[in-house]
Amino acid sequence: MSTPGLLDKFAPVAALRDALAATGRNPTGLVTERLLSPTLGIIEGRETILAGTNNYLGLTFDPACIAAGKKALDEFGTGTTGSRMANGSFALHQALEAEMAAFYGQRHGMVFSTGYAANLGMLSALLGAGDAVLLDADAHASLYDGCRMSGAQIFRFRHNDTAALESRLRRLGEQSRRALIVVEGLYSVFGDVAPLAEMIKLKHAYGAYLLVDEAHSLGVYGATGRGVAQAQGVEDDVDFTVGTFSKSLGATGGYCVSNNPVLPLIRYTSRPFIFTASASPSVVATTREALRQVRERPELRTRIWANANRLYAAFQEMALQLGCSVPSPVLAVRFSQRDEAFACWQGLIEAGVYTNLMVPPASPDGSSLLRVSVSAAHTPEQVEQIIAAFAKVVLPVQQARAEAVSAA
Amino acid sequence: MVTSIQQTLLTMLGKHITDGRTLGVDTDFVSGLGLESIQVMEFVMEVEERFDIAIDLDTLSNVRSVAGLAAIVAKLAGDQA
Repeated sequence: MSTPGLLDKFAPVAALRDALAATGRNPTGLVTERLLSPTLGIIEGRETILAGTNNYLGLTFDPACIAAGKKALDEFGTGTTGSRMANGSFALHQALEAEMAAFYGQRHGMVFSTGYAANLGMLSALLGAGDAVLLDADAHASLYDGCRMSGAQIFRFRHNDTAALESRLRRLGEQSRRALIVVEGLYSVFGDVAPLAEMIKLKHAYGAYLLVDEAHSLGVYGATGRGVAQAQGVEDDVDFTVGTFSKSLGATGGYCVSNNPVLPLIRYTSRPFIFTASASPSVVATTREALRQVRERPELRTRIWANANRLYAAFQEMALQLGCSVPSPVLAVRFSQRDEAFACWQGLIEAGVYTNLMVPPASPDGSSLLRVSVSAAHTPEQVEQIIAAFAKVVLPVQQARAEAVSAA
Repeated sequence: MVTSIQQTLLTMLGKHITDGRTLGVDTDFVSGLGLESIQVMEFVMEVEERFDIAIDLDTLSNVRSVAGLAAIVAKLAGDQA
């Protein structure tokens, strides 16, 4: 057998793509042709309710956000054409950093061009050879990649398992003082939250540090929308909070806020911060306006939670297999068979509802599931339409499976 | 000669093999057993708990079989003793 060539690794990828294409509807290649609102789009020529967009507060078509973006385009142009380190630091970027810090009540704020870059940039700068990182097994790929880039020793612990976290901290011995615990506030697939108070106890006991990613919880959790740490009353004990502007704030970009004086120094050491162009002016401007709305329109949170609670109650009533036992703006319906999940995803598209299909190896625990994310912008009627589509498409499949299992 | 650590690992890994494939100390987790990476991670976490050790991901990335994993377990468990 000849030695494999450089590009031979793509053969299985091509086979997978062809298999997906042969189904007639590739879940990784679905295109939204037009958007009618934050929650309604045209897919395959049909009006489709968007129930898998992470557009939690529905601000993507907010008139004030759009006006702010247009104004910035006129005043600052289309792009910055440079790094924050060089010509790419505009007054807008500095203002957003100050506003993020003020929003969180923290001394320092720093923004990155994307949420992915924020995690890559923070972890690769905070950690180095000789340091250890304790990473939740379900943590997002960007957190994992940042840890890999740092050269630190990476130890994964079972998802949300504080006993597993403690046993790893204990085994580190003296090195635990050079350890960073990395978790998410809200886990974006199953909708469960980290037990931060218990993790903070361990952090103090072992002299370690804690970084929490609030990507999916910004604007949604906590009395003023600062995330899960605020909801759990533990913000003062989180060393570094990271997150993204691409979900509840409807833009792109990422951030870190902290009281720790090293954050301003990370500007000088973080390669994903330095070696990329800064965010475009219009993006920064829409982000700032969206943040203002998070501060001044608490009714957005009231609305998303009303929708989340309604959907959760309806799914429970149908006895669907859910990924989590508390209501959350993200709900996952589990399937034991990959084909069943795929068929239901197809059926929902045909019924005019877009959800996220996740199958192994992309799902956190190897299961197949449909993920739904609700928005403050979903009307009560749209929420009922989502529920009706699940009752028509998903419920019979899950009932048949439950009967087959109990008969076996 | 199968060591006692290898035997323990074989027993633990056997629980993850549901399709009747034969398992030896040198069988490759992925190409020989058809395990998905997530199943390997689950198995490794069980091993860490059983032996009260922590294996970092760099060390794990070179492990492809029970023999390789047993050598790491022996080293880490020995360091702790």
